[in-house]
Amino acid sequence: MAGDQQFRNARNRTYLARDFDAFRADLLRYSRTYFGDKIQDFSEASVGGLFLDMAATVADSMSFYMDHQFKELGWSTAIEIENISRMLQEAGVKTSGASPSSVTVTIYVEVPAKLVGENYVPDPDTLPRVLQNTILASSSGISFTTTEEVNFAEIDRLGNLRATYVVGDVNASNNPTSFILKRDVVCTSGNITTETFTIGSSPAPFFTLTLGNSDVSEILNVVDAEGNQYYEVQTLSQDTVFKTFPNLSSDSEEVPRSIEVISAPRRFATISAPATRTTSLQFGGGSALTTEDDAIPDPETLAIPLYGTTTLSRFSLDPNSLLQTKTLGVLPSSTTLSVTYRHGGGLNHNVASRTIRAVQLLRIQFPDATTSSVAALVRSSIDVKNDLPARGGDNAPSLEQLRSQIPSARNRQDRIVTREDLIARVYTLPSKLGRVYRTGIRPNPNNPLSSLLYICTKDNNGYLITATDTLKKNLRTYLNEFRLVSDAIDILDAKIINFRVRFSIIVNPNANKPLVLQNVINDLANILKVDNFQIDQPILISDIQSAIINNTGVLSLVDLKIENVSVTAQGRSYSVNSMNVNQSTVRGAVYGPPGSIFELKYPSYDIIGSAL
Amino acid sequence: MAEAKSYSFKSVGEKSTDYSARQQARIASPPIGIKTPIEIGTTDDGLLKMHRSIADQIKDNLRNLILTNRNERLAFPDFGADLAPLAFELGAEDADEEAMRRIKAAAEKYMPFISLEDFSLVNEISDTNSTALIKMLITYSVPTANITNQSLSLTMRFGG
Repeated sequence: MAGDQQFRNARNRTYLARDFDAFRADLLRYSRTYFGDKIQDFSEASVGGLFLDMAATVADSMSFYMDHQFKELGWSTAIEIENISRMLQEAGVKTSGASPSSVTVTIYVEVPAKLVGENYVPDPDTLPRVLQNTILASSSGISFTTTEEVNFAEIDRLGNLRATYVVGDVNASNNPTSFILKRDVVCTSGNITTETFTIGSSPAPFFTLTLGNSDVSEILNVVDAEGNQYYEVQTLSQDTVFKTFPNLSSDSEEVPRSIEVISAPRRFATISAPATRTTSLQFGGGSALTTEDDAIPDPETLAIPLYGTTTLSRFSLDPNSLLQTKTLGVLPSSTTLSVTYRHGGGLNHNVASRTIRAVQLLRIQFPDATTSSVAALVRSSIDVKNDLPARGGDNAPSLEQLRSQIPSARNRQDRIVTREDLIARVYTLPSKLGRVYRTGIRPNPNNPLSSLLYICTKDNNGYLITATDTLKKNLRTYLNEFRLVSDAIDILDAKIINFRVRFSIIVNPNANKPLVLQNVINDLANILKVDNFQIDQPILISDIQSAIINNTGVLSLVDLKIENVSVTAQGRSYSVNSMNVNQSTVRGAVYGPPGSIFELKYPSYDIIGSAL
Repeated sequence: MAEAKSYSFKSVGEKSTDYSARQQARIASPPIGIKTPIEIGTTDDGLLKMHRSIADQIKDNLRNLILTNRNERLAFPDFGADLAPLAFELGAEDADEEAMRRIKAAAEKYMPFISLEDFSLVNEISDTNSTALIKMLITYSVPTANITNQSLSLTMRFGG
């Protein structure tokens, strides 16, 4: 008996069973060990077996749901849409339904000609403005809305019309009687809808309004009955937004708009439901009367109470309390909110080229001097066409696609900490505020807390140019919202270094010499194009040698020189920056000065080769 | 008048010889399985009444197997002979063959040690065709346990 007792005590319980069979086997072993003298029959046909099966089934179910619950905790294994929605929201992923497409549409308009001096020109008194939100339609019935105003009367800094035009009709004397003008405008598919919501006198703080249409891609405007505008923010704790306004400086062609940061006490955040593909707007919980108090923090509220004592211990501080934004935005009440939004999309919105030919709703304005008859004539002449197919339309993302966005979204942050953060933030500057083509960062040798941010941009011809002042100001305003308070960023122009390549090769006597030479030049033009260069990136001579030697028909590379070219050469203009290439060549690489970028500006002229 | 004597039966006890004989018998035939229909056990059984004979236990199990229909048994959806769907057809030759096939298949899967021998039944369907009374007699043996000439009588009622 003693031995039997020891044997029983020594039996292990593993707790590793996960499924029905394993649980049943464990229970069977347990029953036979501890109750073998009470019952022996545990076959499936017996009542004892039935009891084991019931217990194993309960354990199996509990094990399954425990596994299920654990799986629902992780983004990669969760399957319930409510949980995935919550994770998406926590990760800050903006979900939407079907995406609209966008396309550039050319708008044509025929206007009367007018003799100005000795030339006939489009009559300035008849040039219309096709307003934003004009609705066009494709042959398949998809609606497209113009995203900006098209002003046919707009002129550039030289006084020329920005619209291109050709002669329409001529009279018997072969003088133009009308001109056909055209301008491009970006259009987005989908429909624009305005919904109104009546808000009672005491709404619940942080209430939400769910929009009636699904697949909302953009909230265009939210305004209350008093005309107060509500701004969309990422989260309700964000109390400022960027606002753009037209750039009236001389560089308005390169940078159409400037930005500023404004306080947004009236704000809302959007919440999307992937299951229903609907969008809700969530508002704050504070009173409009306390808005100013919110904006101006009172340091007194942070004063440490030292009543009757001369010592104090360490304490924790919530930096958010400095902002005094506990209300998280104004709670609208006793008003009517009008919400204008764009919705709809899908793969069928990627319409083919030349299929957008109809104007569904024309919003147009004429100068005061235009007569009604001329206005009617011009209005009836309007034609539209898309030379390129629409792109970007997509069906609603699947749950799997949404899930895959979570890890990258969690790595995102709304502040600039690392070098990569800064570079990424510079490149996300909206294009209307100017486009930074390349950026490079170097530590400031004079200030350890400061970084030197070199930028450059491109002109209309695709050549590198230094960024305009407005672009730098916009970038400053933009970056300032994301930088750490102790960081300093000096925005500087990158030095553009133009260069040319000279080489001599020996070509196989059996090969076509001009053809081999042209192939080499083409290959060099390809590897040396500016798209392949970053700021502070050296030119690797071995890359050039390799591109030349690896061409079929090239026997050997006799000579290779890289030369700096600046200011002008043979009537072509280059950057004013110069450098000594020989002195800057170290171990087979040509290094430019700090914060510089190499540009082979005219490949047709700046690659000079000879075949021997 | 002499005072009547009163005793408690607890005081009479049990002869040690009787007790040890009962214990020997208990050890010689330990409980095998739970008897159905389930009943509260007596002193020797424990909580529930138990079978102490293998033959009884097998008969009990076979009866439960035949009386069970598909999907009635937790975790074993194919457990049982599934005779209920045939209740109103039994008596016809095809239906009887099908019933035997089902009983045989169930027994082969869940009680493979049984050797089924004979099968007979009486089917009484009420005048209104709403109830069926089936009386079934099955004979079998269990060669591995030297159990022969066993018969199982079943009475089943089905509502239409």
